[in-house]
Amino acid sequence: MPTSTICPASRWVAATLGALLLVVPSALGAQHVLVPMDDAQTNHLKAYGLMYNALKEGHSGEWLLNYRGGAFILPDLPDLRRRAALEGIRTEPIGGGVLGAIRAEMADANMEPVPLEKAPTIAVYATPGSQPWDDAVTLALEYAGISYDRIWDEEVIRGDLSKYDWLHLHHEDFTGQLNKFHLAYQGAPWFQEQFERNREMARRLGFAHAPALKKGVAEQIRQFVERGGFLFAMCGATETLALAVASHQVDIAGPFADGTPVSEDADARMDWGRAFAFRDARIERSPYVNAMSSIDGHQVNVPGRRQPLGTFTLFSFSAKFDPVPSMLVQNHRGVLADFYGVTTSFMRSTLKPGVTVLAFEEGAPWVKYVHGAYGQGTYTFLGGHDPEDPQHAIGSPPTDLSLFPNSPGYRLILNNVLFPAAKKKPLKT
Amino acid sequence: MRAIRDALMLGVALALSVGHVRDVGAQDTTFMRALTLEQDGKYREAADAYRSALRGQEVVAALLGLERSYAAMGMTDSILPVLDSLVAIRPREGGIRSVQLRALQMLGRDQALRDAFENWARASPSDPGPYREYTRMLIQAGRVASADSLLRRARTTLGSDRDLAYETAQLRAAAGEWAASSEAWRVALRNMPYLQQAAVYALVRAPEGARADIRRVLAAAPVEPGARRTLAGLEVGWGDPRRGWEALRALPRSDSTVAAWSEFATRSEDAGAWLVARDAWQAVDRVQPTGSIALRASRAALNGGDPASALALAERAAGADSAASARGAVPLMVRALGSLGRPAEAARLAESHGAHLPPALREELARHVAWAWVRAGNLERARSALAAIPGASEGEAAGWMALYDGDLKTARTAMRRSGETTRDAVAALALIMRTKSDTGPRLGEAFLALARGDTIAAATAFADAERELPDAGAILLATAARLHAARADDPRAEPLWRSVAQRYEGTPEAAEADLEWARVLRRRGDVPGAIARLEHLILSYPTSALVPQARRELELARNRIPGTT
Repeated sequence: MPTSTICPASRWVAATLGALLLVVPSALGAQHVLVPMDDAQTNHLKAYGLMYNALKEGHSGEWLLNYRGGAFILPDLPDLRRRAALEGIRTEPIGGGVLGAIRAEMADANMEPVPLEKAPTIAVYATPGSQPWDDAVTLALEYAGISYDRIWDEEVIRGDLSKYDWLHLHHEDFTGQLNKFHLAYQGAPWFQEQFERNREMARRLGFAHAPALKKGVAEQIRQFVERGGFLFAMCGATETLALAVASHQVDIAGPFADGTPVSEDADARMDWGRAFAFRDARIERSPYVNAMSSIDGHQVNVPGRRQPLGTFTLFSFSAKFDPVPSMLVQNHRGVLADFYGVTTSFMRSTLKPGVTVLAFEEGAPWVKYVHGAYGQGTYTFLGGHDPEDPQHAIGSPPTDLSLFPNSPGYRLILNNVLFPAAKKKPLKT
Repeated sequence: MRAIRDALMLGVALALSVGHVRDVGAQDTTFMRALTLEQDGKYREAADAYRSALRGQEVVAALLGLERSYAAMGMTDSILPVLDSLVAIRPREGGIRSVQLRALQMLGRDQALRDAFENWARASPSDPGPYREYTRMLIQAGRVASADSLLRRARTTLGSDRDLAYETAQLRAAAGEWAASSEAWRVALRNMPYLQQAAVYALVRAPEGARADIRRVLAAAPVEPGARRTLAGLEVGWGDPRRGWEALRALPRSDSTVAAWSEFATRSEDAGAWLVARDAWQAVDRVQPTGSIALRASRAALNGGDPASALALAERAAGADSAASARGAVPLMVRALGSLGRPAEAARLAESHGAHLPPALREELARHVAWAWVRAGNLERARSALAAIPGASEGEAAGWMALYDGDLKTARTAMRRSGETTRDAVAALALIMRTKSDTGPRLGEAFLALARGDTIAAATAFADAERELPDAGAILLATAARLHAARADDPRAEPLWRSVAQRYEGTPEAAEADLEWARVLRRRGDVPGAIARLEHLILSYPTSALVPQARRELELARNRIPGTT
């Protein structure tokens, strides 16, 4: 059985939250609604939207870590009740007495109330023209009714990241090689369009080629986190961001992307000290092997290396001492079915010391979900593309989340959206 | 002399033949004993017997039995040494090699599986078998990229992938490359027409955007039966049987084409695509004319609302090959004449044939004649026709007659008493039970207009009837709105839905009215208006069965989920 660990960021947040709790609860003497997040909840995903929008409108709330699947407390306001009814979200009105009993129960268990104070401003790094359904996070945000801005290379290079608290990346290849899809899709119109778009953007922003542009973008993202931003990445963005940041002084892109082969001594010249989460991974030098490095455990697109999908288990943390990782794993399920992505998982051997493992596959050399501090900010990486489309392939129909309103996998994504609301944000400049 | 010599030769041949049978019989005994043991669940003994049978001629059959028996005991690995021995003796025997690959796959021995495949490919360099088997395994395991590499290698090694068309087709479908998959299916179906269902199953999952490519490939010249039958199956699966028939009708006339048309016609009937079924049956009838086929075509035409062609087809059946067909044609002709507004002819026809028909069929004809008169608006003649049926004065038919007269009290009683209740009667009863009034002339006119097929007049009369039966106002207006909606007449339906939603809040029809009104608004481009109605429905009628649908349509209106593809 896994044991709890305490990450440094959690200690800081615990202290901050403890202080906040002393001043906020007086507002909770009035009537409240409990939004259960266990199996009684009829729409888990929309519940996050309810909480987020309540915060955005200036209300405060609480996240009851480990209580009924990570329930929320909100003031009992007509507008919130109306919204919950419209969205099909189960809420339970509770009076002061019941709330007191809940607090007493939580005090004696591995549970913790966390005040939520401010809705984070959200940016999603996405290709212009892409549909919300191309990306699991935008799917979840749209479905939950959480507003966000789309940004792309131009905005990032221009410095617009400082406007946001939370940044999401999905399957972007920050090594500038378009996930090596040229191997299978070189003639496909969508591939050619993306290739041209990247080349044109690089030219417009003064970069020699797409790999150079993406390195520039990755560096901006690195600085955003260093200054206190929250980064959440999934799928191929997790691995390639680390590679792009670590390769600032070496060419790791194949000739099809920048016209030159990968440097002979690429592995030796990687600067892992700058990278998020990973270290000492080997670069996949062959342009004919559809993999980026040895970080991904599943290697879905490499014949002979591809590993089958299993299940992953969410780590159980101490809610009182590790509120941040606890928030990130709040769920009504402890074991979830795995799902493929360009990067599906992260080999333990390539994780930096101090990285908090949030979910792992029992007995496997890889993990699924990690979190860590970087400068004044944090990053969270979740492997895989779409929790409700485990075998997702290019051309697969979009996932309709109204058919998966209780998706435990999508809950992990939305935990990430909400957790910055619990933290008093440090200045990023 | 010659006769004697022939007799001797025959004797020698028979003797040889008997000797052979005796040998095979001995081997068969062991094999059959193994089969029996396996069927009895005695797997250990069965395995021993199958191993003995391996020494006979039925090597592959015995090996398959051994494979099953070991698998049932969870001892699949025990077959590996047996396979090694057999492979050494018969390195090119595909059946043995297939079992070997399967066993290694089941045991998860990937490296040994690859080695076994390579060994087989080396032993049979021009045989597509090893590539076929291994590719299928890779596809089943979801290792699409590996399978793709293997097929490329097969193309190079064998000089063509013609023998691997099925695997290519499956692989391309798994990768979402629908046009390429369709091309490969087309090739595969030329030699393996029995794969048609597999092709439909693989391609029917293609998203809407990819279907044009699939159609283009499968419909391309020259016309090939396998490709056309697959396309027809796909079109039915995609909800467009008419396009399916267009794909199939171009097939050259032959026995197999007739079989394909008949199968398609039956599927179309099952799908309720009656007029498509009629066309398919008519095509069959043109190639192989029989009375029974003409009758099926006529019935399909009638069910599809085309009484004119139903009548023509039934008349053809009546003059056809058998008395049974002629007998079956009469009710159809009577119904068709009734639907065409020719009740007098229907009555004459029923009368002329009635004497020769059994009582049950005679009553059926009388009912058809009565409905024919109803459709013509002549209730007196309808009553006369019904009078010939024993007990008809108290049953559902009497209820309808009373209803057309506006006599709601009698209609209620008669319809409730009826032993056999039709769907239409239940709908009518549900409506007239909502009012306490005993009379409703305008409501009677509405139902009569409906029976005559005059939808607009019926809808108008239902809406008017609200004034005489205000306690049933909601259901009357909703019925009128449904009729307009069925004709896609939004301008007429919308004010009625609005009236129900606003003036009859809380009635059973109110939630439906909100939903339908929202749909009209959304079709018109008034998304905020639609959202307001859907929200009203969800908040006002939270326990309505329509709430989940309303929530879904709310998400679509807000563009929060992908639309239907």
